[in-house]
Amino acid sequence: MKLASYRKKSPWILHYNAGGCNGCDIEILACLGPKYDIERFGMINTGNPKQSDILLVTGPVTKRSRERLVEIYAQMPEPKVVISCGACASTGGVFRGMYNCEGGIDQYIPVDVYVCGCGTRPEQIIDGVVQALGILEKKTKELEESVRLKKEAVNEGKQLNRRNIADEIKPLLS
Amino acid sequence: MAKQYEIPIGAQHISLLEPLHFKFTTENEKIVNTEANVFYVHRGIEQACVTKFKFRQVSFVVGRVCGLCSISHSTAYSQVAEKLLKIDIPIRAKYLRMLVIELDRIHSHLLCLSHVAENSGFEALFMKTMQYREFSMELLEAVCGNRIQYDFAIVGGVSRDLKPEVGQTILKRLKTFMPQLEEIVDIFKTNWTLSLKNKGAGIINKEMVYRLNAVGPFARAAGVPIDVRNETEDLLPWKEVGFEVVTETSGDVYARNLVRLKELYVSIRIIENIINGLPESALITETKAFPEGEATVRLEAPRGELFYYAKGNKTQVLERLKIKAPTFSNVAAMRAAFEGNEYASAPAIIASYDPCLSCTAR
Repeated sequence: MKLASYRKKSPWILHYNAGGCNGCDIEILACLGPKYDIERFGMINTGNPKQSDILLVTGPVTKRSRERLVEIYAQMPEPKVVISCGACASTGGVFRGMYNCEGGIDQYIPVDVYVCGCGTRPEQIIDGVVQALGILEKKTKELEESVRLKKEAVNEGKQLNRRNIADEIKPLLS
Repeated sequence: MAKQYEIPIGAQHISLLEPLHFKFTTENEKIVNTEANVFYVHRGIEQACVTKFKFRQVSFVVGRVCGLCSISHSTAYSQVAEKLLKIDIPIRAKYLRMLVIELDRIHSHLLCLSHVAENSGFEALFMKTMQYREFSMELLEAVCGNRIQYDFAIVGGVSRDLKPEVGQTILKRLKTFMPQLEEIVDIFKTNWTLSLKNKGAGIINKEMVYRLNAVGPFARAAGVPIDVRNETEDLLPWKEVGFEVVTETSGDVYARNLVRLKELYVSIRIIENIINGLPESALITETKAFPEGEATVRLEAPRGELFYYAKGNKTQVLERLKIKAPTFSNVAAMRAAFEGNEYASAPAIIASYDPCLSCTAR
């Protein structure tokens, strides 16, 4: 329970360039720098998908990077949020229809926040990430709800211990 | 013979901005062989430029080849298209193009230096350099209207004028930047901890540069004065605005850092000269001609020589467009420079190459 309350405040970011022009990537780097300082939200750039909560993707998906994109997404633990940074990550942008590109990352992985612009400004990225924080919180709650299952609230006269709940929900799960 | 291990870096890695894959063969922590895999971001821009887009739109498309040196790409394309159209652009447009190229070089070099510092494990210097870099992004926004992807150079001239008050702002900000730059130079030169990581790492010598066709700061750090700004005068008057070649001799990461830092001084001088002596003229040459024939253009991007070839056939759409980016020339030398180094210094060496793979793969 305590772990979840901390995660709400400090999500870790994973950045992947799926074939973009570097423009949005350097703006993400600028976000990590002192002027925009995304770390004041408790965020830190991590290179490991298994430790990260938010996936920042830039670039239209090229045919060679799409497997890696899906692989990275699959390796991230739930709950996870995907942000597509820039016009070409959201829709394909100017690269839409080129022979080695697909139109946007949402054809392969579910996207929660779209950040527009070519290139995205750091303010927009920060806005998108802050929106993603809300979504992450919501997703965390949904995950926790499924553990408690659709059990009605315990009133004082009828206290149940965990084993009793487990026995009751066993038929529901199977 | 000791046992050999293969260690991969990439395609996704914290020290890489872009998908780039290196496979190192190591023996007792020393790199003995490297495989580079750089074409993850191939998008097919060249083909789209000759089928989907008209020749006037292409200058905006090729800007999206690379976000770091987008002005170099759009300028080089505009120049090659102007050669095909057989027009000459106004003198003010030439100077404004040079101004934005040099501002872009400042931000690109500072980004590279901060990246080297981060990958060498010097987080504080990364933060400091990124902080000092922001002024160049703000100036670029003031001049072009966007922090990255300027769309400044178009076929026939430039898209925006430089207002006098913006010029004065640039001069003022450059003055405040000078002591900051000296501070960074001092750290890069004299910091003992950084020198342990940077001095003697990733050495490439003069002979290897000639043999492997390296370009840009990579070659200049080894003592080879290759610079397109020094060689061509016909399209942009570089020597008029006070350009001179910067070289170092040792060819390691430290030398590459110093070349970039010294080039910042040259860029600042060029920008000051341009703003102080900006000639008055129109901004764009209008023409209704269509591109015809073949032409090539070379331009010094922040990473080295950028080469454009175009062929027109008197229609709205070009027949062929070929882009050769500086990093593409450097890949062979990049592989060679890893040899004999500790594996632990590989990230710093990669960052010091300043690889731009979206240029390479297009």
